[in-house]
Amino acid sequence: MVDFATIIAGFGDAFTLWNLAFVVFGVVVGQFVGAVPGIGPVMAMAIAIPFTFGLDPLPAIAFLVGVNKGGLVGGAVPAVLMNTPGTPDAAATAMDGYPLARQGKPLKATKMALFSSVTGDTFSDLVLITVSAPLAILALRMGPVEVFALMIFAFSVLTGLIGKSLIKGVIAAAFGLLCASIGSDPENYTPRLIFGYFELFDGLPLASVAIGMLAISEILRRLSQIRGDMKSAIEVKDTGNPEDRRVTFAEYWACRFTMLRGAVIGTVLGALPGIGSTAAAFMSYATAKSTSKEPETFGKGNLQGIAAAESANSAVVGSNLIPLLTLGIPGSVGAALIISAFMIHGIQPGPLLFQDQGRLIYGLFGAMIMANVLNLWVGQIGLRFWVKVVSAPESIIFSAALLLCIVGVSMATGGLFGVAVMLVFAGIGYLMTSFGYSVVIFIIAFFLGPRFEISLSQSLALMNGDWMRIIDYPIAVALLGLSVVSVIWFLTRNAPDETTAGTVSIED
Amino acid sequence: MARNVDRATGAFFLVFGLLLYFVIIPVHVEFIEGGWILPETIPNAVAIVLGICGALLMGKPTIQRVQSSTEFLNACLYFGLLAVGLFLMSHVGFVYAAPLIALVLMLLIGERRPLWIGMGVVVVPAVIWVMVVQVLDRPLP
Repeated sequence: MVDFATIIAGFGDAFTLWNLAFVVFGVVVGQFVGAVPGIGPVMAMAIAIPFTFGLDPLPAIAFLVGVNKGGLVGGAVPAVLMNTPGTPDAAATAMDGYPLARQGKPLKATKMALFSSVTGDTFSDLVLITVSAPLAILALRMGPVEVFALMIFAFSVLTGLIGKSLIKGVIAAAFGLLCASIGSDPENYTPRLIFGYFELFDGLPLASVAIGMLAISEILRRLSQIRGDMKSAIEVKDTGNPEDRRVTFAEYWACRFTMLRGAVIGTVLGALPGIGSTAAAFMSYATAKSTSKEPETFGKGNLQGIAAAESANSAVVGSNLIPLLTLGIPGSVGAALIISAFMIHGIQPGPLLFQDQGRLIYGLFGAMIMANVLNLWVGQIGLRFWVKVVSAPESIIFSAALLLCIVGVSMATGGLFGVAVMLVFAGIGYLMTSFGYSVVIFIIAFFLGPRFEISLSQSLALMNGDWMRIIDYPIAVALLGLSVVSVIWFLTRNAPDETTAGTVSIED
Repeated sequence: MARNVDRATGAFFLVFGLLLYFVIIPVHVEFIEGGWILPETIPNAVAIVLGICGALLMGKPTIQRVQSSTEFLNACLYFGLLAVGLFLMSHVGFVYAAPLIALVLMLLIGERRPLWIGMGVVVVPAVIWVMVVQVLDRPLP
């Protein structure tokens, strides 16, 4: 489908100094924000998207990928040093990283996190590069009926997997679809639910909704929990032994099977919509502990525990792009933000992407590989600095983040109307999270809404309005059948009967 | 921690779904004849789903732990500050409003160290101004 010359040209584009500079910048920003508890890579990506408007698509998306990948490495720093994960998926890293840091080996712990993170990420990227093009060929054979059925399947899996209540998941998805229906309808182009605001004729601005729900609502939550005491700088213990400041090759090699297993778990779970890196990290950690000859050492500073968690959570990033690039369906908020960046730059994600924008996609793959290498390099140099970053006061971090959000959305939407919409969705996002409704499902439904409506319309046209004709589309029937099975399974599983305010995280 | 929270949000979505279906959609969505799906098809379907799920949630609530009222009031306070800040920004512009928003926010959080306050009030807005106006050549709000 994509000829070899295009692949080489794409990789060539990625390795130009200009693009590499943006990857480096993205990785540095990502590691920085990941190291600051409260601002994860997702929030950083949401804020950064409007600032990439002036760039060409490749450096813009490469920058965002750098932020995402760097953020996962940076997120391990506060987890290890303060037992306060910068990102939810780093919580598993804290289980062994923090005890190791308390033993006076903080750099050994953060370096092990760095090495295993890069190992897992590289494995997952290689799977993405190998698998996505053949999958896209298969996806191209799918018509509107199959795409519609696929979206129903994606919704059924997402609503069941994210959060702990299927009903609340369905409500979040329906609410996302409702917000996506604001603006002109795709078939007749008549205004719908705009309440006299003609600025909404083209729909709610993506940047306003995403930044409001993901960034501002989270900042509001963090601000509301501050009790007026400024967090003081942490004290990092050091044994003074040079061996405790580095990871030897023997120590790295001893963790090879743990990292490989973590990478496989992360890659498989990342390719499925809705599961996310937090689940992958904990599953990998649990597997490593159960297969270890010394399970009692886990939780007390075992390097294998750090390797298991970090390799798995980083492996999710690459494989998350498999459903996005092949089907145009984002499997996580990070992927949904990348899809919005594609759309802002005039690129429609989906199977045709490989045919129409093959050079860009292979440029993106090249940038991802480079981001892994640079993650290692920047991490090696920057870890000592990021250790200092975790002590930056929240007052300056949050005030700067709020101003950046306002400016970013204003740039994206061309005025303060978009900023007002952002504020409204910040309130909605805060309330949804407070009452246990997943903003992740909402955002993904919001992104998929217009495409869902168009594919429904096209499906009805193809079937002449007769739903019984769906039996002519066996793949669609199979997908709808799977949707029913998954909903029944989620309804009957023994789910914990409790949802907690604020636990439906933006990074789940 | 109570099931009443889910019952309350379930009731909200039930009423919201009914309002959407019977009041909001008929008034705010134009009626068009013809076409495979009408402009109100998706909003109506969503309203029905929201109503049904709201009723189901009232009948089968989960145990929902919510944050304290102090936290909620704090969030409202910061939300109000942002709303006032945006109103101010729409009148005097980012250059004058941003330092004020940052100052009030930092003081509310509890920051009293002059160096950090100076960073937040002067340096951060200045860096944003340089980045947006000088480097990206875009206007600030």
